[in-house]
This record gives sequence, structure tokens and C-alpha cells, in this order.
Amino acid sequence: MIPKTNNLPRLLSLAVFFALAFSSSSCSKDIASTEVLPALTPANIDANAGSWKMIVLTGPTQVSVTAPGATGDPAYQSELATIKSGQANLTDAQKTAITYWSSGGVLRWNEIMRELVARSDLPPSPNPDGSYPVPNPANPFANPQYPFSNPPYAVRAYSNVAVAQYEALKVAWYYKFLYNRPSPSKVDSSIQSLMPTTNVPSYPSEDAVESAVNTVLLTLLFPTSVDEINAKAAEQQQAALLSGRASPSDIAAGVALGNAVAAIIAARAATDGMKAAGGTSAIWQALADGATARGEIPWISQDGPPRPPMLPLFGQVKAWMLTPTDIVNERATPPPSTSSAQMKTETAEVKSTVNNLSRDQLATVYKWADGVSTPTPPGHWDAIAAPYISAASYSEVRSARVYALLNMALHDAGVACWDTKYFYFNPRPSQLDPEIKTQTGLPNFPSYVSGHSDFSAAGADVLSYLFPSGATYFNAQAQEAAMSRLYGGIHYRSDITVGLAQGQRIGDYTIRFAKADGAN
Amino acid sequence: MISLVSRSRHKLHRKILASICFALLLPLCPSLHAQTIDDGIMLANKTLCAGALYSHDSWDHYWEGSLERVNGNIGTVTTQSLTMAANYGITNWLDAIINVPYVWTNASQGVLHGQAGFQDLALAVKFKAISLPVGHHGALRAIGVLYGTIPMTNYTPDLQPLSLGANSKTISGRATLNYLGQRGLYINGTAAYTFRGNVTLDRPFYYTNGQLFLSNEVAMPNQFNFGTSVGYRKNNLEIVGNYSQQQTRGGGDIRPQDAPFVSNRVNFSKAGATLKVPVPKLKNLQYWFLYSNTFQGRNVGQANTITTGLMYTFSFEKRATP
Repeated sequence: MIPKTNNLPRLLSLAVFFALAFSSSSCSKDIASTEVLPALTPANIDANAGSWKMIVLTGPTQVSVTAPGATGDPAYQSELATIKSGQANLTDAQKTAITYWSSGGVLRWNEIMRELVARSDLPPSPNPDGSYPVPNPANPFANPQYPFSNPPYAVRAYSNVAVAQYEALKVAWYYKFLYNRPSPSKVDSSIQSLMPTTNVPSYPSEDAVESAVNTVLLTLLFPTSVDEINAKAAEQQQAALLSGRASPSDIAAGVALGNAVAAIIAARAATDGMKAAGGTSAIWQALADGATARGEIPWISQDGPPRPPMLPLFGQVKAWMLTPTDIVNERATPPPSTSSAQMKTETAEVKSTVNNLSRDQLATVYKWADGVSTPTPPGHWDAIAAPYISAASYSEVRSARVYALLNMALHDAGVACWDTKYFYFNPRPSQLDPEIKTQTGLPNFPSYVSGHSDFSAAGADVLSYLFPSGATYFNAQAQEAAMSRLYGGIHYRSDITVGLAQGQRIGDYTIRFAKADGAN
Repeated sequence: MISLVSRSRHKLHRKILASICFALLLPLCPSLHAQTIDDGIMLANKTLCAGALYSHDSWDHYWEGSLERVNGNIGTVTTQSLTMAANYGITNWLDAIINVPYVWTNASQGVLHGQAGFQDLALAVKFKAISLPVGHHGALRAIGVLYGTIPMTNYTPDLQPLSLGANSKTISGRATLNYLGQRGLYINGTAAYTFRGNVTLDRPFYYTNGQLFLSNEVAMPNQFNFGTSVGYRKNNLEIVGNYSQQQTRGGGDIRPQDAPFVSNRVNFSKAGATLKVPVPKLKNLQYWFLYSNTFQGRNVGQANTITTGLMYTFSFEKRATP
């Protein structure tokens, strides 16, 4: 028989017990999805930025901006009235938006773009027959969605947006200081200045320039995110207006300017060779045959099922700072032969490394994995730059310069890296020794040279030039990013050392431009 | 269309199995280490039940969100574990339970490296709040369990599905209602709510559930699970059928062709059976065999799980009283 017990005390203790269990874990689960940045008060307004050297445009007057009406005109006065009534009825959402955009549109748009890249960084799933569908820009919402923003796609996107924004802001600065129209809060003292006041003239509005450039180019590059892009652009323009920084005509002029410059950059992008970068099955076969003819083991895809190589002709995409001849000249010297003793030694090193990782090394692998669903390695370098830009309190045009220089170098390093990868078509460690198992996703393209190493050395090179106080940190990050690929079991040591050297050489092209661009 | 996916060869088969399970109120063990945590059995005063359990869990089909598919980059994922388990009867109405699992994982295809190591230490106190005789036929018990897990090593949660676990501290409250008849009829119903602590990744940002998070910290959605078991239990012999469900209260789906993420919304229904038999001639030694099949789910593998081992019961009370 089961004895009857006195249940009441136990019932009470049970209740206490569950009360404790349920209350003890009510910790906050809020995780940051946007960077907390201070409001930007530029240390220097860079009044001469209109004369800084252009990259794609011939000069600031390639885009014309008509003179604004006088501040005493009735039309302008009615614009001021619009701002005043808006300020009198600010919603909480508008206040939040003003705070958000007051830390600088250049930083915010880069942050937004990293999210768009991560969202689209998904390789297509295979078809039932083992083939793979190709995302279609003419039908971006179909499955697989367009684009697959892998590292080459992403770095080209980052660089086009960054360059367009930089060119457009130089044009804007030219006209700002040509026309010298003050901001609404300076014209009319009854308009509050809800963002830090500066002496940057407000016509055309830099916020509008940024929102237009980003809207045009991001919509081209990430068409499925069009609604979010438009919403952000509208929010930025409204924040500029409601903060007393820009009038409707300042904004309209900025939008027109931004659209015009974005169209110039979009036209360049349309013919930069990216459309053909995927190659054809004949080209893929020729790459393998070429390696075989040289007596080397050709790379094969280890995806299941095997996937066509990622953008094999990206090495022919137009670079920003290098000519096609420069790209060939900067091609890395050949890797160790796949039949050489050195390659055996390097393969053995990968195997012993990946099988004997310390926890710290594993953390490095994951920190730098930057694989599927991430902003990719170039986006990681943009994120590294963000706090330096913010801490420097740069004017918007100078912040845009940082991202333009950085992303041009990253892009050109990507082009040179892809040129080298597909010129040699060298197998991954796990292909030469199937016993090698990787600690991170295996990229679906040839091994030599390491993309992480190339990107990171170029990024660290340019950032070290722009922020010398951070040079030690940037270079340590580049070394770490590069070595993470050996720890992960996906690269040989020579991929890394040669990739780092190549990345630095490519970065130097951008630095040579920066030294003579009139911004120093 | 994402369509590597071999859709539901066994769907009908599973539906039938599921219906049978529901119909019989078959039981199931919600997790590998939940033995004795979710059942209605209490140990006698100053009794220790301890032993080792080996578990083998494998799947090749899985649900990417709600899409059923296979994946050539992993093939069949196998998770094995060896758990040292002990359950001590502090009094007739209070048990303390500890589980120490060592886990190793493997993928049959692709190049990903399996992981191995000690996973999460589980500690529980289980107590009988109510015990009511039901006529002369048996007894009804209400049991509460406070259960917590804590990772024993700093294993990575960022190589799903090959990570050893989620590397999250958890605490859960469980309530169990159990009927045990004089002739061996065993009916058990149990439900638990689990709070899961934030997880720290080794990277500074991650994308999940439609958003890029600029942090290495991941919020882990809480989980609710329940299960029922029906069978026979008498004279150290137990034959029980199990059914259980888990619902995760948030989290995103696995992204197309992406790896699972630690905070994904993992839901499943499982059915299976438990067999515990005394080992002949070895008094107090019991052989355990458990099987379960995940027949429905979201962001989870269609796993077949087998757990087997030996558990020995020591009674300190008896020794103390010759």
C-alpha cells in the first residue's frame, strides 16, 4: 500500500519552488541591432571638399545644381513654416529617427548595407537533379532570391555605393560653399536645431544626397529589400527637415544631385564585367583542363552536390585603382605544385592544426568565419572602421572618403585575389587530403590565395594610413583573420602569407591615390 | 523552388505512427538526459540509482523551417553521448538527480569537423507534493521538478548542427502527474517550461530571424514541452510507450541552405518506448533501453534516438539496518 502523507507543506514548498524558477530568469533579452553612436559634430567642416579629387566623375560641375532661391522669398518662408509646424508636433518615432540619423548618414547607411548583405548572403539550394539554380536579377523575388551576396558580390556592392556617395558629397560640398545657404535653424531663430549645429551650408542637403544615392544603388543591388531601403531614405530626409537642418528645397536639390551621381556610377557598374563573372560550363571546364595541362591537380567543388565555382571571372571585373594590366602584374607567383614536397608539408600542417585547435584558435575561426548570412569579410572591415570614423568626428564628406578608400581597396583586392585563384585553380586542403575536416564552411572556389588574407591586408593597409593610431590593431586583426583560415582547415599557410602580401600591395594603390587627392 | 528536398517518402508512415501514438497516449522522453526527471517514479529514502547511459541519435532528413529536406553537405548527422547519471532519494519524497553527459558529433558527408566534449551538467531536485491512494488499486502522485543545466565546457554553439549543444544555462520547472496501479498500470503526464540564458558567440555580429544583430550575445527563446507515457511497471520491470512535444517560444527558422542557428525555433513531436528490465542474477541492476522517433518538427532533424545502459540501485537504508 502506498501510505497517505501530509501533503500541505509539500504543496507549499512546491509553489515557492516554481515561483523561484519562473522569476529567476526574467533577465532582459534585448540585443542590439543598431550601433549606439554619438551625435556627430564635425571637428572640421572640410569647406574645400568640393575641390578634392574625383574618382569617376570629371569634376563637381559634371552635375549641375541650380542656385537656390533667396531666404527671403515667400516660397522659402513657406518651407520654414512647414518645418515649424512639424517641430510643433514631433512624434516619438520622429524624435528617435532624429537621434538615429544625427550620428551621420554615412555610418548609418553602411550599417544598413551590412544588414542587406547578410540577408542576401545565401547560396542557392540545389535542384533535385543536383544542378543549381542561378538567382535572376530580372525576377529577384523568385527562389533563389537575387542576389546571392557572396564576398565578391558584396565587395563590389560596398565599393560602388561608397564611391557614389563620396563623389556625390564632394559635388554637394562644392555647391554648398558656392551658394552658402544657411540651414533653416540659422535663418529663423524660432526653428530649433535638433541635431548638432554646424557651419556647413544646407543647400543641397547632404542627408538628401546620401538617401538618394543609397536608394538608387541599394535598390539595384538588393532589389528584394526595396521597401526597407525606401523607408530608411524617407526617414533620413524627414529627420533632416524636422531637425531644422534642411528645408524642402535643400532636400529636393540633394535628391536630384544624388540621383544624378548614382546614375553615373550605376552606368559604370553595368559595364564593369560583373554580368559575365559567373562564366559558363565551357569556361569552368577550361579552368580545370588548364590546371591538368600544367601537371597540377585541378580544384573541384566539395559542396554536395558539386557546385559551379563562385564567380570565376570576377578577376576580370573592372577595378577602381588598378588597370587590367596592373591586375595581371599583381598576380601572385605560382603556389607550390600539388605534387611537391612543400605542398605535402603544408597539407600536413593544415591537418595537424585543425585536429589540435585550442579554444582560442577556434574562437578566431568563428570570429572571422564571415560565411553564409554575414556581411562577408569586406563588411567585417567596414564594421571595424565604423568606431574609428565615429570617434574622429569627421564631416560627412570625410567619412564618405574613408569608406570609399577602404572599399575600393577591398574591391580591388578581391579582383586581384579572384584573378589569382582562377589562374592557378588550386585545390583546397580537404581535397588533397580527404581526412582533413574543416571547422568552418568550405568556400566553393580555389584555394590560392586566401580571400580573407587579401581583403584583410588591403583593409588594414588603408585604415592604417587613414587612422595611424590604430595601425597596430588593424594589422593584428588582419593577421588574425588570415590565420583563422589555416585554423579552420580551409587554407594552406602559403595561401595566407602570399594573400596578405598581395592585399597590402593592392591597398597601396588606393593609398597612393589618397595621398594626392587634396584632402590631406 | 528549393527542392533538393525529398518530400515525405515516409510521411504516410509517420502519420500512421503518430496516430497510433496519440491513440494509445504513448509516452516519450523529451530529451536524452531526462530519464527519471520526467517520470512519476520516486526513489525510496536513502537509495541511490546510478549508472551509465549511451545514446545514439541520427538523422538525414530535417526541417529547414517547415521545409523537409536532405543536405549533401552533412549527409547523416549522428550525435552520440555517454551520460553518467545518478538519482538519490534524500527522503521518500525528495530526490536529487545529476547527469554528466559527454557528447560527440559527426556528419557522414561534406567536410565539416565533428565536435566532442563534455556538454551540460544537469542538476535536478524532484519532489513528491501529493500522493493519494486510489481505492485499493493504486496511487496518484503529483511531482514537481526544478531542473537546471550548466555547460561544463566552453564548447561552441556556432557550428550547428555539429555543436555539442546550445551552450546556454537553463532552468526549468516541471510538473508531473502519475498513476501507478497495484497491478502495474503506469500512466504519466508531464509538462515543463524552460528558461534559457543568453548565449555568447565568438563573433561580433550575426543574422537571424530577419535581422542583423550587432552583438556577440544571442537571446535564447524559452521552451515549453509536455509528454505522456502509458505502460506497465512492476517488480523492477518497466515497459512504457511515450509521446512528447517541444515548442520553442520564439526564434527564427533555418535560412535556406544555411546552417541551423543556435536560437532557431526548434519544435518537434516524438514518439517512442522505454524498456527497463532487471538483469537476471544481478540483484538491483537494471538494463535500460529507450527509443524515440521525431516524426514532426520545425528546424530539427527527423531523428531516431536510441538510449541504452545499466543502472544500479543501492539502498543505504538496508545496509544500515542488518
